[in-house]
Amino acid sequence: MSLTKTPGYKKVANWLKADGKKPFDFQKETWSYYADGYSGLVNAPTGFGKTFSVFLAVVIEALNQKGVAKTTSKDRLQLIWITPLRSLAKDIARAMREVLTELDLDWYVGVRNGDTSQAEKLQQKKSMPEILLITPESLHLLLAQKGSSTLFKNLKCIVADEWHELLGSKRGVMVELAISRIKGLQKAAKEYYLRVWAISATIGNIEQALEVIEPDINAKRIIVKAKLHKKIEIKSILPDYIETLPWAGHLGLKLAYKLLPIIEKSKTTLIFINTRGQSEMWYQHLLNLDPELAGRIAIHHGSIDFELRNWIEDSLHTGLLKAVIATSSLDLGVDFKPVDTVVQVGSPKGVARFLQRAGRSGHSPGETSKIYFLPTHALELVEAAAIKEAAKDNNIESREPVIMVFDTLIQYLVTLAVGDGFDDELIFNEVKSTHAFNMLLPEEWNWLMQFITSGGDSLTAYQEFKKVIKDEDGLWKVKSRQIAMRHRLHIGTIVSDAMLKVKFLSGGYIGMVEEYFVSKLKPDDSFTLAGRILDFVQIKDMTVIVRRSKKKRAMSPSWLGGRLPLSSNLGQVLRKKYNEVLNKTHQEEELDVVYPLFLVQQERSHVPRNDELLIEMINNREGFHLFAYPFEGRLVHEILAALVAYRLSRLVPITFSIAMNDYGFELLSDTEIPMDDAIAYEVFSPDNLTEDITLSINSTEMARRKFRDIACIAGLVFQGYPGKYVANKHLQSSAGLFFNVFSDYDKHNLLLRQAYDEVFYLQLEEARLLEALQRIQNSTIVITNPKRFTPLSFPIKVDSLRANMSSEELEHRIERMKAEVFK
Amino acid sequence: MTITIRAEELILDKERAIYFPAQKILAISDLHLGKAAHFRKAGVQVPSTLAQSDLQRLTTLFNHYQPSTLLINGDMFHHEINSDIDVFEKWKADYKNVNFLLVKGNHDHLHNNQYNDLGIEVHEPSFCARNFCFIHDAIKCNEKDLYPISGHVHPGISIIGKAKQRLKFPCFYFGNEHAVMPAFSAFTGLYLIKPKPQEQVFAITPNKVVKV
Repeated sequence: MSLTKTPGYKKVANWLKADGKKPFDFQKETWSYYADGYSGLVNAPTGFGKTFSVFLAVVIEALNQKGVAKTTSKDRLQLIWITPLRSLAKDIARAMREVLTELDLDWYVGVRNGDTSQAEKLQQKKSMPEILLITPESLHLLLAQKGSSTLFKNLKCIVADEWHELLGSKRGVMVELAISRIKGLQKAAKEYYLRVWAISATIGNIEQALEVIEPDINAKRIIVKAKLHKKIEIKSILPDYIETLPWAGHLGLKLAYKLLPIIEKSKTTLIFINTRGQSEMWYQHLLNLDPELAGRIAIHHGSIDFELRNWIEDSLHTGLLKAVIATSSLDLGVDFKPVDTVVQVGSPKGVARFLQRAGRSGHSPGETSKIYFLPTHALELVEAAAIKEAAKDNNIESREPVIMVFDTLIQYLVTLAVGDGFDDELIFNEVKSTHAFNMLLPEEWNWLMQFITSGGDSLTAYQEFKKVIKDEDGLWKVKSRQIAMRHRLHIGTIVSDAMLKVKFLSGGYIGMVEEYFVSKLKPDDSFTLAGRILDFVQIKDMTVIVRRSKKKRAMSPSWLGGRLPLSSNLGQVLRKKYNEVLNKTHQEEELDVVYPLFLVQQERSHVPRNDELLIEMINNREGFHLFAYPFEGRLVHEILAALVAYRLSRLVPITFSIAMNDYGFELLSDTEIPMDDAIAYEVFSPDNLTEDITLSINSTEMARRKFRDIACIAGLVFQGYPGKYVANKHLQSSAGLFFNVFSDYDKHNLLLRQAYDEVFYLQLEEARLLEALQRIQNSTIVITNPKRFTPLSFPIKVDSLRANMSSEELEHRIERMKAEVFK
Repeated sequence: MTITIRAEELILDKERAIYFPAQKILAISDLHLGKAAHFRKAGVQVPSTLAQSDLQRLTTLFNHYQPSTLLINGDMFHHEINSDIDVFEKWKADYKNVNFLLVKGNHDHLHNNQYNDLGIEVHEPSFCARNFCFIHDAIKCNEKDLYPISGHVHPGISIIGKAKQRLKFPCFYFGNEHAVMPAFSAFTGLYLIKPKPQEQVFAITPNKVVKV
């Protein structure tokens, strides 16, 4: 029987018709493929009912089935809906409940994530709802529950919503692992219901995205593409004079006044800002500019308390707020109908992200999305022009799936051991069936098993290590209640920086800040959070106690991370745009505005053309600077800078401090840097690349930095969960310490290898680097000696993230440096 | 490196120890024996060879200085008796001619009998030798005429140079009021100290001790 003739389909079609709606073709396609037992991926622009494609497919099937399970049974679960962000779950649940009520289907929709109350979790433990909306972390927590293996007996479908967001991260690997386990459980019970669907925005590697979520080549797999085009209008907010845009760092606050009329004439405006710290600053600044906005604007980011975020999201729905300042916390699919305007402050660094954010306005089908771009420094105007072109050509980035992350696998294995235990042979095969671990070798698996069962080495005479042990039933389990509890608390805190909750002296939570930031505060120091100015009182039980401040100004906390690297797609277009500014062959108004700046660059140094690499050598009081501009993005520059520094340091004993941004990098030294044409071609040579990179990575801190996350995810470092648990003092240590200890005493540790691999494969994109170096070899290298900093060099100089590279003897360095110590 | 403090000669060793020749005392602080095993017991994978390496470094120091006394300036054992401490007991049997002396620190919670059984002489709160008062936490020192030498904080020094250069090392600190020894154990972190201008700090590099 064709699907359209089934009672379920008719019911859904009639309901849509009564509502004056007609299903899109891609929705109908999804419904029929799902009914035929396909797994797949739905690719559609925001605002066209992506959610209803897969969700209604499951509903139609349910309506067609008779004899619904009794609501008290433990295995009611029919659909697991994975969302990357907590804020998404609430709204999707609301939309689903409405549909279920209208269609008269007696299903419950449950939400489970870090914000779910203990009472609700207990209720779910007694009886799971039919539909569960869950984050990847909470799904793993579910697997860490005793008796969890019986929950998935009747599960029909797992959906990974906003899959493009998860794909390039370890959270995506968590999804892959959880799916492999649930499939395994159904297989063991001889139930074969499960179909796996992903919902994704457009990315460069959409076929691969499907292969990651459903790696089984024997499964029926399909990509359903919506042939719909979202209209997007992009407009830059231009300064009247180029001088009003500082060269770097100054957040474009001077242009903020130009936002006021935009906010005024729009129903609701979303203002996206790249970091949480800057969003706090912008909130204060907009209020200072127009005090009348008080109470009509709000600030939303991941470190603001759940209740407050809830209120903001509700107010967005009802149109109560005129504008909301947000970070990536509001990037994704929630449909806020009143939002008709989006502002992006600072470069979004990627085409895909920019389009995603643009899609937050004009959410309904057929409407045009309107996005304003407000540059934070002059060179970003060139980026704006590049983004416009890339968006027009649909030049959208790929999201590279993460593979071979042993930290995540270790965490997963302990998760299973905390739950119902696992059989190592069975799980090895399941894990190996995932995309992330299909290259896993038996000896690596053995090492991992040894790591969690005997603590890493089998040679020790003492068996005091206790974590995962073999139970009488032959399954590997965690028997210690303390270890189990610590592990459960740990799963959610995949972010490695210790966060502390912030609470008023009089009660009431405001949000979270990093411990690092708090450690620098003295009593009565003030800072802003959630748009409020707060006086620090004290830290008590892992909670920061504050009171309302009377001060007018305060510093914004800096949350580490949150810097987005320029994508290679954008870098390529950007280089092209640089040529166009001087040639005056361009169409974009943005490029007219920055023209004077390029004249300054030309006068002081040189504007690099497409077939040139510019190197600027600048000497001043600070030391000797070398700036180079390959325009390859921050991540590639970090490696390239280390490589060039390493090769230079082989010529003479020298010490560098390294800084970089998306356009280029700086090497800074206290002694003169050798440089001429011959040296330049040599240090940028693609010869001996792999070997030299390995050596340069080893002599910088890059791998050590990667290890911070790894140590945390693998459970070596436990910082305690904000407000919930005081870390055991006797077990306190740091990732850096473990990095040293493993380097000295356990060189073959796979987690250590992972840290180097992450630098090498994830960050390096070796192919991209090789391509860049070959491009440089075929370019003309132009070396200039400007007397002062140039428009290109200044933004790098003021960047605060620095690394080091040295070929000098330590004692010798100390000798020279110590004159400066006590200054 | 040999230095003179309060008219006494002290040798600062890069293995994070002080040798006091006049008394034939080898002094170390914050040994944290059993820390690795304690972590392993709790399911955290610290390499089990770590504790042995600390003892091997002590062996090297014993051979070099031939001390009559090993003074441990607090935090000898990290937490409880565990396998690391069994290893220590066996190792110690080879050094019957060395007097083991512990100045109690905040981690040293074992019963005095347990120290006795291990052949360790316990002093609380301090042990005084000539012009020095060895004490775990210098603030608690009541010996007004003596110069306190303490441990506890695991001191480190950050050296900042031109061109935004920065280096970090464990260190010995000899201040106006008191001295602080580096933590002996390799499995400890650093707390950065900020010395006043005329105070002496000695950074410990992998190869030697350097005055900064």
